[in-house]
This record gives sequence, structure tokens and C-alpha cells, in this order.
Amino acid sequence: MSKLDITDIQGFALRGYNFPFARFLFLKISDKQKGRECIGRLVKYITTGERWDQGKPKTTVNIAFTYKGLVALGLPEPSLLSFPVEFVQGMKARGAILSDTGKNSPHHWDAVWEHEVHAWLGVFAQSQPDLEYQCSELLTLLQESGGATKIDSQDAGALQINGQITTKEHFGYTDGFGNPEFMGVEKDSQPGQGKLTADGKWTPLATGELLLEYADEAGELPVAPLPHLLASNGTFMVYRKLHQNVATFRKYLKEKGALYPGGTEKLASKFIGRWRDGTPVELSPSEPSPAIVGDKSRNVNFTFGNDLDGARCPVGAHVRRTNPRDAFGFNGKLINRRRISRRGMPYGPYTPEDQPGTDDEEHGMIFMALNASLFRQFEFVQQQWIEYGNDARQGNDKDILIGNHGGSGKVMIQGTTDPNNPPFLCGALPNFVELRGGDYFFVPSITALRMIAANSVDPR
Amino acid sequence: MANKSGSIYGLTILSPVKDDPHAEISPSLAVRMYLQTLPVDGRGPFGRVSSTHMARLVVLDDVVYFGMPSCEEHLKSKYLIFESNFDGELEPYLKQLAAEASDEVHNIWQHCIGYPGVQNVDAFIAYMKRCQVETTFYFADVNNKTVQQTLQALQTQSAVASFIEKNQGKPSEELQPAFIEFMSRLNKAPRPKPGSTKGKELTDELL
Repeated sequence: MSKLDITDIQGFALRGYNFPFARFLFLKISDKQKGRECIGRLVKYITTGERWDQGKPKTTVNIAFTYKGLVALGLPEPSLLSFPVEFVQGMKARGAILSDTGKNSPHHWDAVWEHEVHAWLGVFAQSQPDLEYQCSELLTLLQESGGATKIDSQDAGALQINGQITTKEHFGYTDGFGNPEFMGVEKDSQPGQGKLTADGKWTPLATGELLLEYADEAGELPVAPLPHLLASNGTFMVYRKLHQNVATFRKYLKEKGALYPGGTEKLASKFIGRWRDGTPVELSPSEPSPAIVGDKSRNVNFTFGNDLDGARCPVGAHVRRTNPRDAFGFNGKLINRRRISRRGMPYGPYTPEDQPGTDDEEHGMIFMALNASLFRQFEFVQQQWIEYGNDARQGNDKDILIGNHGGSGKVMIQGTTDPNNPPFLCGALPNFVELRGGDYFFVPSITALRMIAANSVDPR
Repeated sequence: MANKSGSIYGLTILSPVKDDPHAEISPSLAVRMYLQTLPVDGRGPFGRVSSTHMARLVVLDDVVYFGMPSCEEHLKSKYLIFESNFDGELEPYLKQLAAEASDEVHNIWQHCIGYPGVQNVDAFIAYMKRCQVETTFYFADVNNKTVQQTLQALQTQSAVASFIEKNQGKPSEELQPAFIEFMSRLNKAPRPKPGSTKGKELTDELL
């Protein structure tokens, strides 16, 4: 394939920025014509995939639209009708497939989702003042344009522990490992990302698993809107605000950890497949290893083929469910069309480890993921691997960490005859994580943004 | 023999649907309308034909060829497709189907060409076998266990999981009597009925 035109692709689609501060603005397009003019003025702020040889900028800005947003911007009907159905329906309508029921149902979502959200404006910054400055500049632009208004915003940011910016999330795990690698996307190559080859090596996934109008792993073009230029270099984004019940998690882990012969920290590592410092349990089942965490040639470089019974990494551990690598055989070929690029970021203040924490406080994870097909990639992972266990041979059991357990879930932690690594059953599982809203967004290329702004989207 | 995987039989039957230009309702539509009225849980006909793991009834109107170069082909008629995974051999299964679900069988297959009725069981079996297509690539996902064994295993798994959850970590002198007592209750517990989705409730009652 040819080299990607990285300055035409929104940077957020190509890489996680690793900035410590972020704000996500949810917009309503108030007027078709003025809305398009507003997009036209916003384009120059949009961060592309351009190389940062001179260092990172102070802030980044990216934009994405819901289906209703594209309607509000007056895209021609033949274009609108060509979008994939799951995007047209939006995340709320897909609740039954995603198990967004019970405590995860829209009834419990933030008020912003009672509105018709048209656009997402994502701002990342190196510092809080930079964030404030950039957001205020953007809000002034919106106001002046008269084309879009802010409905609400969501702040997020790296957790700060003792004044230090960290890569931890609220349950104490180090996050941000293991995003897939795609052909043509420049990044520091790490063995363990991308896909497995027959000889056990790792190679990037087809570009079409991430970006529209490129061949995917089946050698086909992903379902994409018309015309070609509207879709090309674009992608789809999932936005989900995942509230974390810190008190419930800590209490559960403490209670079960007291019963588990390997101890609390080992049990915590079995839940997700990494020790809390990030060490993969598959590589170091008995203890965390800072040497492995710090080694990019090792920290995502593992397979499950020699651990099919889950003695080291439980079959239902979070990282194994969501990226089973070779666990289903066939050199991992069964999973290459189910990979997503995550861009998660915590929100809310960190609760020190020695405190019980609360469930009610505003704290959690803004889960964002990019993929060419919401249906084939994100929705499949959510439905089949998070909320169901058959592929992992775990029956109806759900992902221990983010499953919608409703208080009656159970998960088996496999083990061995080693008294420090016995099989252990975690029952009466509550929801450690609850959905507080979200939607599906289209992330257009810079060309497509300009076409939308110029009202020149022509599907004929 | 490709129709079987271990003790599980993979049955495929294609029965041509009548083409009646005088019918008030097209026979294929009549089958579809009737199928839509059938319950899909244990109250349905296959809940009674208790050796059925899973069964599916579909009306196939025609085949459509996509691609280049285009090649237009058609079926000689519409077909009713009946697929079933069941325990044991074909003839006893068809006999049971005719006996336990005769009304449903009649209401469905009466719209098919050559259907002789279910009253004469031998004729019915001969007809179904004539419509049978060999299942050449058959995957049985039920581990060579009968319906009853599978339901019982699910019940046992759920019960044992609850037992472990309540008792893991206890000293052996407490664990053993608790387990013996649990096993005795489990062995006396009512077995889940075919088509039943009540495994969990039975387990909860049991414990």
C-alpha cells in the first residue's frame, strides 16, 4: 500500500497524544449554514497526524460527528443513507447488543445524553492553563460563528498521585499498553502489537482495520459512506464514559484477597492479566517486574498458546478477553478483525490506596476507541468478549472488571496445584464499572471536513 | 458417516414447498406465518421432542448469485429447510417427532410437495428421508453429550460454582462434610426439563 497522507488524517486517529489534560466538548449544530461555516473556521485548529519533530504542541484539537450531527450540517441524503446502520442508530439504540442495560442503561446516563449531541470536540493539553486557553478560544469561535453551541463538557486527565502525573487508572492499574499497530501508521514498533504471523512474529494489521477506504484484513474495503472522498482517511469513534465504583472494587478485592492464598495483589493481577504496575502476568506470574514493564520489547510481547488452561493468565482476564492473541488458535487469525485502538483517559481525582474510596464521587475512565467498523470491531468485542464468555470457554461469565454483572456475576480464576496459585472462584460480582453515557462518532479527514464546510459533499 | 458427529446427528431436510396459483395465500407465506406463531422455548414442539439440541426451520425462496461474471441460477421450487441436531439415530427421532409434535409437523409440512401426513408414520419417515440432504461438514458444539447430560452438566456446574464460592478456603474438616451434604442434595435435585431456562433458579433453590 502507499504511504499514508498523515497530514490529511486527524492525529487522534493515528496516535494517543499522551497529554495529561483533556476536555471533551459536546456541541449542538444550531444552524445548517452557520454550522458549516463554523466547521470551516475550526479546521485550522484540527490536529493532524503531522510529525512533531520540533516537539509536541501545547494543545491538540480534534472533531467528530454523530449521525444526527451530520444531518444537522445538511449532508446530502444519499450520503447520509450510505453510512453503516450502527452509526446511524447511535449507541443508545444499540443498548441490547452492548448489554447497556440495568445500571448501564440510558436511564442512568449523564444529562448531556438527553440532548441531541451533534459533535465532539476533543482538546488535549500539556497543562491546565493551556487547556483553558485553547477551550476558551474555541468557545469564542463557536459563539461568533453562531453555528454551534456547547451543550456540556467533560474534563479528563491523567491521575496525579502525590503531585506526580501517572498512567494509573482509579483501580490502581497502570493503563495504556498494547494498542495495535497498522500498516502505514508510523510509530515506535513494539513486538506484541499488530498481528501474529505463522512463524510467531508480529506484523502491523491492515490499514483498513483503522481507516476507511483502505483494504482491511479480509482484503476488502470497510463499509463506508459515499462519496469516497468523504470517507477516505476517516474512521469511527466510540465514546463511553465509564464510571468506576472505587469503593466497591476495593472492598471486593480486599475481601476476596483475604481468602485467596496468593494474596490481594496477585488476585488483582489475575483480574486483568497485568500486575498493577503493568507487568503481564503471562510473563511474570509470581511477582511484578519493573524490568519487564520498562522494556518495550517485552511489555506487550506475549502469547497465550502455552497457557491455554489459564494457569498464569486466567482465560477470563480482562487483557486476554479483549485481545486474545493466539488463545483461540490459528495463529491469532480469528482476532485480527476485532482489534480497536483505544484512547482512554481517566476523569476525577485519585483516591489514595489506603482509603476505602467512594462509589458516588465523579471518577472513572473516558473510554474512546477508533475502528473502521463499529459493528465488526467494537460491538463484537463488547458483546462477545466483554459481556459473554463463550469464545473464551467461560460460558455466560462476563469480563470481571467491566462486565455488567448486576450483583450475580461469577468468574473463575484458573490455577495450578501450587498452593500459592490455586483455582479461585469470584462470585456475587457487582458492577465495578457503570456506563454514564456515550455515542458513536464519525472522525472525518481534513479533506472531508473542508468538503462539509464548503457544502460540496457530492455523492452522485 | 458425515451426518453424525459422535452420538449427535446433524439432520438437514429440504422439502419443496408447493406452488399453488389458486391459493388464497402463497404456501410459502402460509408456512412462514405459521412458523412465526410457534414458541421458541421449551413450550415449542422441540421441547417435547426432548432429544433435540437445537432445531431451525427456514423457508428458502431462491438462490441469488452476486458477482462477476453474472450467472443466473434458480431453484426448481421454494424449499422448507429443516435442520436439527439431536441425540441418536434418525428413524427413532422422526418417529418421536411424528408422535410428540404431530400437529405442528402437519401444519408446517402440509404446504410441501409430496408430504404424506403423519398418521402413517412409515410413510412420513420415508418422505423425510427422501428429502434428506447429507450433512457433509458438520460441527456439533455439544461435546458428544445428550441433551439431558448437557442440561445436568450446566446445573451441576452452576451448583458447584456456588458451592465453591461459599466454601473455598475452609479447612478440610469443615469442607468435607459440607461437600458430602451438598452432593447428596445435588443428587436428589430435580433435573432441568428440556428447553428449560430455569437451571439457575433450580440451583438457587437447591442451595
